[in-house]
Amino acid sequence: MPGSDSLLIGLVQAVFLLLIAPFFTGLSRVLRAKLHSRKGPSILQDYRDLFKLMKRQEVVPAQAGWVFRVTPYVIMATLLLIAMMIPIFTLKSPLGMIGDLIVVVYLFTVVRFFFSTAGLDSGSGFAGIGSSREMSLGVLVEPTIILVLFVIALLSGSTDLGTISQKVASGEISYYNPVILSGLVALAVATYIETGKVPFDLAEAEPEIQEGPLTEYSGPSLAILKWSLGLKQLVVIALFLAVFFPFGNAAVVTPSSLLVSIVLFLLKVAVFYVIAALLENSMARFVLFKTPEVTWVIFGIALLSFVFYLVNL
Amino acid sequence: MVQQIFMLSVFLYIAAAFLSLVMNRIYKVANYISAIGTFAAAIAGLVSTIIVLVQGMPFAAEFPRFVPFARFTIEVDYLSAFMILVISLIAAVTAIFTLTYNERYIGKNAGIFGFLNNIYILSMILAVASSNAFYFLVFWEIMTLASYFLVIAKQDKEAINSGFVYFAVAHAAVTLIIFSIIVLYIYAGSFDFSDFRNAEIPQATKNLIFLLSFLGFGIKAGIVPFHTWLPITYSSAPSTVSALMSTKVAIYGLIRIGVDFLGASVWWWGLTLLAFGAISAVVGILYASVEKDLNRLLAYSSTENVGIILMGIGVGMIGFAVEQPVLGTLGMLAGLYHMVNHAVFKGLLFLCTGSVIYRVQTTNMEEMGGLAKRMPWTGFAFLIGALAISAIPPLNGFVSEWFLYQSLFMAGNHSILAVKALSPLFAVMLALTGAIAAMCFVKAYGVVFAGPSRSEHAREAREVPVPMIAGMMLLVVGILVLGLGAPVVAPYIGHVASSLLNTSSPQVSEGLTVYPTSKTQAMLSTPLLFLFLMGLLVVPLFIVWTLRGEKSGRRMDSTPWATGYAYSARMAYSATAFSQPLRVLFHPVYWIRTTLVEVGSKIASYFRQVVGCIDRLESFWENTVYGSLARGTVLLGKRIQDIQLGNVRMYCLYIIITLVILLITTIR
Repeated sequence: MPGSDSLLIGLVQAVFLLLIAPFFTGLSRVLRAKLHSRKGPSILQDYRDLFKLMKRQEVVPAQAGWVFRVTPYVIMATLLLIAMMIPIFTLKSPLGMIGDLIVVVYLFTVVRFFFSTAGLDSGSGFAGIGSSREMSLGVLVEPTIILVLFVIALLSGSTDLGTISQKVASGEISYYNPVILSGLVALAVATYIETGKVPFDLAEAEPEIQEGPLTEYSGPSLAILKWSLGLKQLVVIALFLAVFFPFGNAAVVTPSSLLVSIVLFLLKVAVFYVIAALLENSMARFVLFKTPEVTWVIFGIALLSFVFYLVNL
Repeated sequence: MVQQIFMLSVFLYIAAAFLSLVMNRIYKVANYISAIGTFAAAIAGLVSTIIVLVQGMPFAAEFPRFVPFARFTIEVDYLSAFMILVISLIAAVTAIFTLTYNERYIGKNAGIFGFLNNIYILSMILAVASSNAFYFLVFWEIMTLASYFLVIAKQDKEAINSGFVYFAVAHAAVTLIIFSIIVLYIYAGSFDFSDFRNAEIPQATKNLIFLLSFLGFGIKAGIVPFHTWLPITYSSAPSTVSALMSTKVAIYGLIRIGVDFLGASVWWWGLTLLAFGAISAVVGILYASVEKDLNRLLAYSSTENVGIILMGIGVGMIGFAVEQPVLGTLGMLAGLYHMVNHAVFKGLLFLCTGSVIYRVQTTNMEEMGGLAKRMPWTGFAFLIGALAISAIPPLNGFVSEWFLYQSLFMAGNHSILAVKALSPLFAVMLALTGAIAAMCFVKAYGVVFAGPSRSEHAREAREVPVPMIAGMMLLVVGILVLGLGAPVVAPYIGHVASSLLNTSSPQVSEGLTVYPTSKTQAMLSTPLLFLFLMGLLVVPLFIVWTLRGEKSGRRMDSTPWATGYAYSARMAYSATAFSQPLRVLFHPVYWIRTTLVEVGSKIASYFRQVVGCIDRLESFWENTVYGSLARGTVLLGKRIQDIQLGNVRMYCLYIIITLVILLITTIR
């Protein structure tokens, strides 16, 4: 079993991300409104939405099986587990002994798997389209993510996320290395795609009435799912930050160092959301078959990072 | 002791085979005898091999010679024991499954089926157990013949056609294997495996032997580009036979010759396996994803999994070749682990498919749908199998792929440049395979078991009988044991891997974690992963429980929203539509297949001409040689008839003439 202190940090990370997830999705709504020169909702609107949904009656299609019903819970539990495994506040993966970066990447597949299966299980054609797109997006993005992380892992000699964070933070893996720079670009774009924001908002299609696999969800299940999608954004960003921007994470765990790293983490995420807001409000949604153009480019950049790694040897 | 249990298992297979053949007329009894016999034999086989693996007691035995030039010896070392374990496991489970499954599909031929099935399993076991190449080939051939008859068990035209394809391909494979063994025999001077190991063979010849055996066993295992027979064969074979075929005995032959006999002496052998494996994995799963026939989907996914197994063995061979035994054992561990995993989850998926076909009576996924409600056990089993085959942690498919990633990582860290340069790319191909596999099996579960029912049969389906459920559930347990029990299982498989080159057994697990021999490289704990996942499920449940409104409840009677029109099952997303993005994204791969099919049909038509030619040649021979002989005989008969006039006086004349001739000859 992991030590009780790292277990505690892991739980704090998971609960913290869960609690602030609606804040950041709210922030994203506020920023969009500002960019549209609208007044927009309060930044806490998403909390209110979730509470409201929890109180509503749940309506389930007669066609749906048990996968449809358990999916929201499985997805949230999986994302919480990922949140416990990524070094977010410290330079150590709190649950490093139960899994490395490969486990983290494959846990994202668990989320995908259930999300899509639930879409098909609802029997709705719109949900089916969303499911298909969600899985296709995975096919397009996952190779890039694995390649970037694999190369960084080769540099640090371990696939443990904590070790990678430490080596990047201590400067042992230098930032002046082209391997890091091109890897950073590739993973940044891949992260952006994984957060499901416009123009890659293919599966849930937020601006539409039909929200892909969410179409048939209602009441508490919808609340849990929406909350999980917000949490997924944070977790994906946290993974990116743990690999490329672990600076400021607590090396030694003291109350003050933890406080500093929490504040820094919030700032880093806020920066990501501001940049994301600029991007998503200046573009229209891609059709699915335009996406490969982007994913091929980032795969190329990731490959470039790998070639730099080979040349450096 | 171990040996006696093993011999008991062999005896039970033989007894079950012949008893069920004898009882063929009372086909229900024959079916039970065969199934119970197989089950008992498989349990004995399991016990003996577990003793070999756990206690470290390999054994050997020699029997009287049947032929003067080859000793009939068996030797169950770690690798053989591991293979027998895998075969026995699937044999035991399918035996339970056949209790009711066979009543519908085999019916009155149950006795013959039982005979062939037992002979098939036994010949697989003896092929991997024999330590003499001659007997290896004999049992291999019996295995091929028995499985050929099993493939055509359904006796319809399609089954017979696909049986013919299987027969031809299996014999093309065996020819290459025979060639490679003959070359080994020339250098070793006998058929004994021990002489093969010690033979002094020049490197060029070693390369030849390796390539011959790679092609032979590769064809039999169904790697790309020799995979085309798999979907044809599996689509009409009974599901239990498909499950048994998923044990992939061909991989054993490849390891035996490439690693055990030839010592994996050059690194490009491993790289060849790695490259063919990676391509097979990606191409196999791409073809699987666009199938709408459930059996063919699983067949193509076998190509994918064989690819993953080969990747592991390839890394292992590279490790042995560059004298990094740790890398070697780690790669081999990944390959062998995936082999047993594949047998278990693919076996499970084939049995689930068998159950679905049992009720819905079609293999077309578009006519299924909504079965999870009507067949809850089958649906649950299929979901677990689908999760495992998509390498979802913490199930077994993930554990072996994780080891493969770690071995590729290790290969990328310290070995020769070509391997270093390629191993991250192979890791990417593995990631791509995983992502497509997830898509493929989301589709399979989603279209078959989830959503609305798409046909009358699907609406009327109900759960299959208890023995079939029991068979599936046993394999579900197998998936959990191999996945969550990884810290216990991995060291034993590591032991099998290290025994191949007599290196020391690697340290791969401690407590609840497994690691790739070095803890700093990475750690994985599937049992804790599972515990945490289960524990964290409490969080959303707690949230809903505390925040839920008092009047809210759940209504389950609605239909999916259909933009205001009345909902119909035809509005649900179809299997073809679901995989459409892949068809577009990977257009070239599918284009190649279409083109190859065209080329193939051209070749086939050419063959048909050849066959026609041969037909005509046959008739020529018939007319000239046999025809003239026949005509001559008839003519002769007619001439003889001429002297039979039916006149007594003429006959008296004949007798007198004969007497005169006799007198003249004796007087002289």
